[in-house]
Amino acid sequence: MNTSYGSMLGLLLVFVMQSAPLCAQDSGNSFALRGARVHTAAGPPIENGTVIVENGKIAAVGSAIRIPSGVQVVDVEGKTVIPGLIDEHSHLGTYDFGDVNEFTEPIGPEHRALDALHMEVRDWYEAVKGGVTTIVTGPGSGERMGGQSITIKTFGENLEQRILKESRELKMAINARNMSHIPTIRSTFLKAREYMEKWDEYEAGDKEGPPPSRDLRLEAMVPVLRGEEKVRCHIHYANDMIAFLRLKDEFGFDLTFIHSSEAYKVADEIARRDVAVIVLPLATRIGVTDDLLFGNTQLYEAGVRMSLHTDHPVVHQKLLRLNAGLAIRYGLPEDYALRTVTMNPAISSRIDDRVGSIEVGKDADLVVLDGTWYEPSTRVDIVFVDGVRAFDRANERSGLEEEN
Amino acid sequence: MIRNTMKTIEYSAVAVLSFLCLTTESAWSQQITAIQGGTVLTMAGETLERATVLVRDGKIAEVGANVRVPGNATIVDATGKYVMPGIIDAMTYYGIRPFELNDPSSPATPQNRAIQAYYPYGDFMRGTTGISVDKNLISGGVTTVYIAPGDRQVIGGQGAVVKTWGPDFNSMIVREPAAIDMTIGETAKREDQNPTTRMGIAALLRRILLEAQEFSGKMEEYETKQAEGDPEATPPGRDLGKEALRRLLSHEIPARIEVDYLDDIRTAIRIAEEFGFDLILDSGLGAYKIKDVLAENGIPVVLGPPTHPFIIGGEVSMNADLYNLMNEYNAAELSDAGVKVAIGSFGFGFGSFGGATQGRWLLIEAAYATGYGLSDEDALRAVTINAAEILGVDDRIGSLEPGKDADVIVLDGYPLNIKTWVDLVMIDGELVHERGN
Repeated sequence: MNTSYGSMLGLLLVFVMQSAPLCAQDSGNSFALRGARVHTAAGPPIENGTVIVENGKIAAVGSAIRIPSGVQVVDVEGKTVIPGLIDEHSHLGTYDFGDVNEFTEPIGPEHRALDALHMEVRDWYEAVKGGVTTIVTGPGSGERMGGQSITIKTFGENLEQRILKESRELKMAINARNMSHIPTIRSTFLKAREYMEKWDEYEAGDKEGPPPSRDLRLEAMVPVLRGEEKVRCHIHYANDMIAFLRLKDEFGFDLTFIHSSEAYKVADEIARRDVAVIVLPLATRIGVTDDLLFGNTQLYEAGVRMSLHTDHPVVHQKLLRLNAGLAIRYGLPEDYALRTVTMNPAISSRIDDRVGSIEVGKDADLVVLDGTWYEPSTRVDIVFVDGVRAFDRANERSGLEEEN
Repeated sequence: MIRNTMKTIEYSAVAVLSFLCLTTESAWSQQITAIQGGTVLTMAGETLERATVLVRDGKIAEVGANVRVPGNATIVDATGKYVMPGIIDAMTYYGIRPFELNDPSSPATPQNRAIQAYYPYGDFMRGTTGISVDKNLISGGVTTVYIAPGDRQVIGGQGAVVKTWGPDFNSMIVREPAAIDMTIGETAKREDQNPTTRMGIAALLRRILLEAQEFSGKMEEYETKQAEGDPEATPPGRDLGKEALRRLLSHEIPARIEVDYLDDIRTAIRIAEEFGFDLILDSGLGAYKIKDVLAENGIPVVLGPPTHPFIIGGEVSMNADLYNLMNEYNAAELSDAGVKVAIGSFGFGFGSFGGATQGRWLLIEAAYATGYGLSDEDALRAVTINAAEILGVDDRIGSLEPGKDADVIVLDGYPLNIKTWVDLVMIDGELVHERGN
């Protein structure tokens, strides 16, 4: 183990050394991208577009924009520019040392992905190479309540700067048409509601006498009950979804389904309740049927807000863009497919004020590609995160020059 | 797209009927079909614009821009479309239940045959009479697959080349046995019985091959005596495993050895040289590191899908050493060095999530590899003619050339674009899939 992670660390160092001089090149995170086809994920594509970045934020975007003198111009003529991709469900950094499931505590809302996050693994760099700049990464699906995920950029100066949201949203999991899963979750919700009410009473009163004793488990569920945070639930079967929707109807929490294999069979029920779905990773070695793949398009047509995900390591983090390509193959409109890996996960994760589209005021997370953004043969050329050049293919180390 | 609508309906009906009735000869295969007007990627060196592929009695009769089409031919209009040979998935575990892939009784079972466990009749106790097509697989244009035993034994057994459709089971088999499947690496190790190390694996392999050599010697001696009319000639006792390995040692079939690490590749080459058999590498994550040796010795590689390289013992990123070995330029580096490369799905059925369907995205996998330096031509070859040559069935399939089986697909766009779909699939001249039907 030591040797392998040693070499990973080595890789990371190479990467840092490479990027340092490049940052300087982009003169203080301010520059202009000129000449590309720009897909903003907030409107129709802009031909021969310009994106101006100032201090790591998007200052202007459009087709007929004057670039102020003194601003460094990055010529990307003939290229395509899209927003940095966002993966709404991943286990990058959490699964690496087997830290993804605390099986001994099936109800563990107090578990926090941040406490298990490994920053030294190569996958963060691979994610950047694939144009993925923000991910929601968190606990696995081995428990009914796995814990709290974290919303984080794949690149940045330090951990604090990279974290968009150390959220208290809850990851839950319903597995395969089971009789006990929903009652287990329901009784926890009931207890949490009592706990919340006890604290509300104390806070609203004169606060005489000792406060109620703290319970980390139930405390973690209060923001969800208050509607400040959401539940994301791993779920595959249509009947399980109906069962979980009953739970939502009872407690009124904000909900997103994860994987959602059979969501298309109950699309109307989901759409009616304004529940979002993250659909099964498409580019997977699991033999996903065409019915399911076309089903995603039916969900879109029913008006359900949809995100795609990799569930890394199920599908490698860097392949998020390929998932979108496959979704287009199976009928999703191109512009909407781009939204499923940018704007939609940003809205679901409540980070759309910062990321998810190329709009003025947002973080300059930008991906430059050498062709049509969703084709498997297209490569990522440059990735900017907060206006910093996090990857440049011109400096890519192929590794092929190594010894035999 | 089909001009002769009435005929199409008629022959589609025949095709469907043949699924139901298990006919050994159908009307379609005796017919003449002309696929006209498309861009024909023959995979035999040339791309023909607005060309015709003429199919007669299940075989390709003619390919060219100026083919005379008989008046009684059924016309398939492929104007604006692409026509190419059926996709070949050079490595799969299709049709075999996952727990039947490996024989726990012994680390080496050369007598086992994948074809014995292969089940082409659709879902158990569902469907109708006869061969049931996996529609997902065929809809991706896959017309032929290699089916292999699993990779948890040093010698798993004998693999087979089968088509994805046929009038009956036996007619689907193109070549069997097609190779002996072996593994050198982590998964071939056993917990507490020999072999537990790579030294053990190599020694075991050598012992078995040595015994097979002795057996072969005795057989040859017997055959010589018999040919000379010696009444005393007695054959050695029958041994199905050694008989299979004799085919290997006499170059009748090759060994397919699954290897990823450079040292395992070297061991495979060393043992192949010692015993003088033909070698194909499977998976070969680290093959680019030894590309010149592979090119020099004419050793081909069947790579896993570039998006999900097949990994011994699990997905790639779960094993840090293999992960660091992985290089997306593998296919391009090997091809450019002159190594014959195929891309296989290494796919298998996966319980309730779905059947053995991964191969339907082989063109997408090939397209992905072009992003990492593989030429379009080499990418297409990797799932057609290269695969056919590596599997030893290029006399029958892999390219659109007169005399070969009429395994033809028509696509509605450039084969390496993600939005392109296979419109029509023909196997042995039989229309087995039409998009939307």
